[in-house]
Amino acid sequence: MELEYQFLLPLIIISVSSVAAVAFDAIWKNKNLNFSFSIFALLATLIAAAYTLTASNEAIDAIKAMALSDLISKHQIHFGGYSAYFDILFCLAGLLTIVAAKPFIKREYEEYNEFYSLILFSICGMMLISHSSSLLVLFIGIELMSIPFYVLAGFFRKSIFSVEASLKYFFLGAFATGFLLYGMAMLYGATGTLDIKEIGIIISQGEAIPIYLTLGIGLMLVGLSFKAAAFPFHQWAPDVYSGSPTVVSAFFATAGKAAAIVGFVIIAKEIIQFDVKSFQIADTARTAQLIIAFISAATMLIGNLTALVQKNVKRMLAYSSVAHAGYLLMGIVASNELGYTGIIFYISAYMFMQMGAFVIVSVFERNGNEKMSFDDYSGLYKSHPILSALMSIFMLSLAGIPPFAGFFGKYYLFLAAIKADFLWLTIVAVISSIISMYYYIGLILQMYFKEQTHGRLKSKVGMAKYTLLITAAAVIIFGIFPSLIVDLTYNFF
Amino acid sequence: MEDLLFYLFAFVVIGSASVVVLSKNIMYSAFSLLFTFFGVAGLYVLLFADFVALTQIMVYIGGILVLIIFGVLLTTKITGVDIKSGTTGKVQLITASVVVVIIAISLILLFTNVEWVNQEFVQPNTTIDSIGFAFMTKYLLPFEIAAVLLLIALVGATLIARRK
Amino acid sequence: MLETIQMEYYLILSAVLFTIGTIGVLTRRNAIIIFMSLELMLNAVNLSLVAFSSYYGDSAGQIFVFFIMALAAAEAAVGLAIILSLFRLKKTVYVDEVNIFKW
Repeated sequence: MELEYQFLLPLIIISVSSVAAVAFDAIWKNKNLNFSFSIFALLATLIAAAYTLTASNEAIDAIKAMALSDLISKHQIHFGGYSAYFDILFCLAGLLTIVAAKPFIKREYEEYNEFYSLILFSICGMMLISHSSSLLVLFIGIELMSIPFYVLAGFFRKSIFSVEASLKYFFLGAFATGFLLYGMAMLYGATGTLDIKEIGIIISQGEAIPIYLTLGIGLMLVGLSFKAAAFPFHQWAPDVYSGSPTVVSAFFATAGKAAAIVGFVIIAKEIIQFDVKSFQIADTARTAQLIIAFISAATMLIGNLTALVQKNVKRMLAYSSVAHAGYLLMGIVASNELGYTGIIFYISAYMFMQMGAFVIVSVFERNGNEKMSFDDYSGLYKSHPILSALMSIFMLSLAGIPPFAGFFGKYYLFLAAIKADFLWLTIVAVISSIISMYYYIGLILQMYFKEQTHGRLKSKVGMAKYTLLITAAAVIIFGIFPSLIVDLTYNFF
Repeated sequence: MEDLLFYLFAFVVIGSASVVVLSKNIMYSAFSLLFTFFGVAGLYVLLFADFVALTQIMVYIGGILVLIIFGVLLTTKITGVDIKSGTTGKVQLITASVVVVIIAISLILLFTNVEWVNQEFVQPNTTIDSIGFAFMTKYLLPFEIAAVLLLIALVGATLIARRK
Repeated sequence: MLETIQMEYYLILSAVLFTIGTIGVLTRRNAIIIFMSLELMLNAVNLSLVAFSSYYGDSAGQIFVFFIMALAAAEAAVGLAIILSLFRLKKTVYVDEVNIFKW
C-alpha cells in the first residue's frame, strides 16, 4: 500500500496541485503567487517522478504481484520505466513553457491566472497517458490533455487567429476522439476487457473476435494519427500551431506531440504486436505495420515539402513539427529496442530544440501575428547576435546536423528502421531530411547573410532567457553525450 | 415484442439522426436530436442497461441538449433567419464519400461475419448495484480523474466565454 | 426472448449512427450542427459499448459509457464557449466564413 503511494506520488502531486491552483486563484487574485506555485508544483512532481525512475525493478514487480483489493490503482496504472521518464519530460516542458510564457502573455495580452492551472491540468493528462495500462485511463488521459489544449489555443480571446485555432482544434480533436473511442469499443468487443495487457494476451492467444479486432485497430490508428498530427490527418496542426499564442504552440508541438506518440507506442506495442507469431493476428499486424510505415513516410515528406514554401517562420516551424512526427513513427514501425530507444531520445531532443525555436519566435513577435516572416529575420545577427546564434543551434539540431542532439535521434531511428528491414523508409527519411535542411539552413542564411530590410526587430526576452539557455544547453549536451539518455532509457519499453 | 421495439427505436434513431444532419433549419436539428437521444435510451433499456438509459436521459437531454439549444439561441440573430443550405466544398464531399464507403465496407464485413455464439443475454435484476460498486472499487481512480476533467471543463468554459 | 435481435443488429445500428454523425461533421458548415453530429458519434460509441457489455455480461463497458458521458458534458461546455466567443468576434457560426487560414 505505502509502496504504491510512493509510485503514485507524481500523479497525486500534479492533480492535487492543479486543483489547488484553481482554488488559490479564486481566493487570492495574485498573479505571481499562481506562477510560483505552478513552478513549485512542477518541480515537486519532477522530483517525485525522478525518485520513481530510480526505484528498483523489484519494487515495481512487488506492486504488480499485489492483490487487486490492496491497490488503489487496480493495475490500471503503469509504474516506473518509461512512464517515469516521460513524467520528467512533461514536467520539464511545462516548466520551460511557463517561464517563457510569463513575459509573453503579459506583453501581448492580459495575464490570466487560469493559464498556469490549464498547463498543470494538461500535464496531468499527459502523465496519465504515459502511465496508462487500461484503455479507460488512456482515454481519460487523452481528454484531460486535450480539453485544456482547446482552451489554451483560444487563450487570446480577442484575437481572431487564436479563436479560430481553438475552434478548429476543438472540432478536429473531438472528431478524432470519436474515432479513438469507437476503436476502443471495438477492441473491448473483440476481447471483453479494457486492460491493455490482457487485450494483448487474448490477441496473441488468438481468442479475439477477428472482425472487431481489425476494425478496432484501424479506428484507433485513425484516432491516434489525428492526435499525433500524422498524414493524412495532419492538416489541423499547422493551422492550430500558427494560430495559437506562440508559447502555447511551443507546448502543443512538443509536450502534446510527445504524449500522443507515447499513446501510439503503447497501443502499437501491446495491442498491434508486430512481432507476434500467432496465426490469427499476424496478417493484420503486418498490414498495420505497413500502413504505419506509409503514414510515417508520407508525414515526413508532406511536412517538409510544405514547410519549404512557407514565408512565415512560425508556420514553417508548425509544418516541421508535422515532419518530425513522421520520423518518430519510424521507431514504432521498427518496433525493436533500438527503435523505442530512438523514439525516447528523439522526443527528448525534439522537445528542447522545437521549444527553443518557438520561444525565439515569441520573443520577436508583436501584436499577435506580426514580425515573424522570413524577411523580418534578415540580418538579425547584427542587432541580436546571441539570439541568432541560439536560433542557429536549434535550426541545425532540427535539421539533424552533428554535433547537436537532433542528429543522434535521427541516427538511432534510421538505424532501427534498417534493422527492421524497412530500408525504403530510411531512404525516404534521408531524402526528406535533406529537403528539410534547405529551409532550416535557409533561415540561418537569412539571419547572417542578408541585409536588414525592414528595420530592426525589437526583442523583449525577459524570463524567456532561462528557457532559451536551458534548451540550448540540453541540445548541445545531449548531442555530445547521447549516452546520458540512451543508457538510462534502454529497455524501457 | 422486443423485436418490434428494437425496430421502432432503430427507426426513430436513424430517422431523427438523419434529420439532425440534413435539416436546413437548425431548430429542427436540435429538436430531432432529442428523439435520437430518447431512441438510444430506449435501446439501452432493451439491452438491460437501465441505469445507463436513465443517465442518458438526464445528461444528454437534461444537460447537453439544453446547452446546445442555448447555444443556438445565443448565436442566431433572429430565429428563423439562420436557414442555410448545407453547401459543401468538393473536398468535403470527396472525403465524406470516402469515409462512407469505408464504413459501408466494414458494415458488410459485420453482416457476413455471422458466426456469433448464440449466447443468451445475461439478465441482471438491476445494474445500479454492480455499477455503483465498480465505481467505488475497481474504477475509483478513473472516477476521481473524471471529476478533475469536469472541473477543468468548467474553468475553461468560463475563461473563454466571459465577456471582459 | 430476443430470438431474432442479435448483437450485430445493435452494432450495425451503431455503425449507421456513427456514419451519419461523420457525414454531418464532414459536410455541414454550421458550427452548432457539427457539434450535434459529434454528439451523434459519441452516442454511437456508447451504443456499441453497451451492446458488447451485455453480450459479455461484464459491467466494464457500461462503466466506460459513463466516462464518455462525462467527456461529452465537458466537451459541450468548452465547445459551446468557443463557438460563443467566435460569434462574439465575427458574428457568425459558419466555419467557412472564418477562413483566415485554409480550413
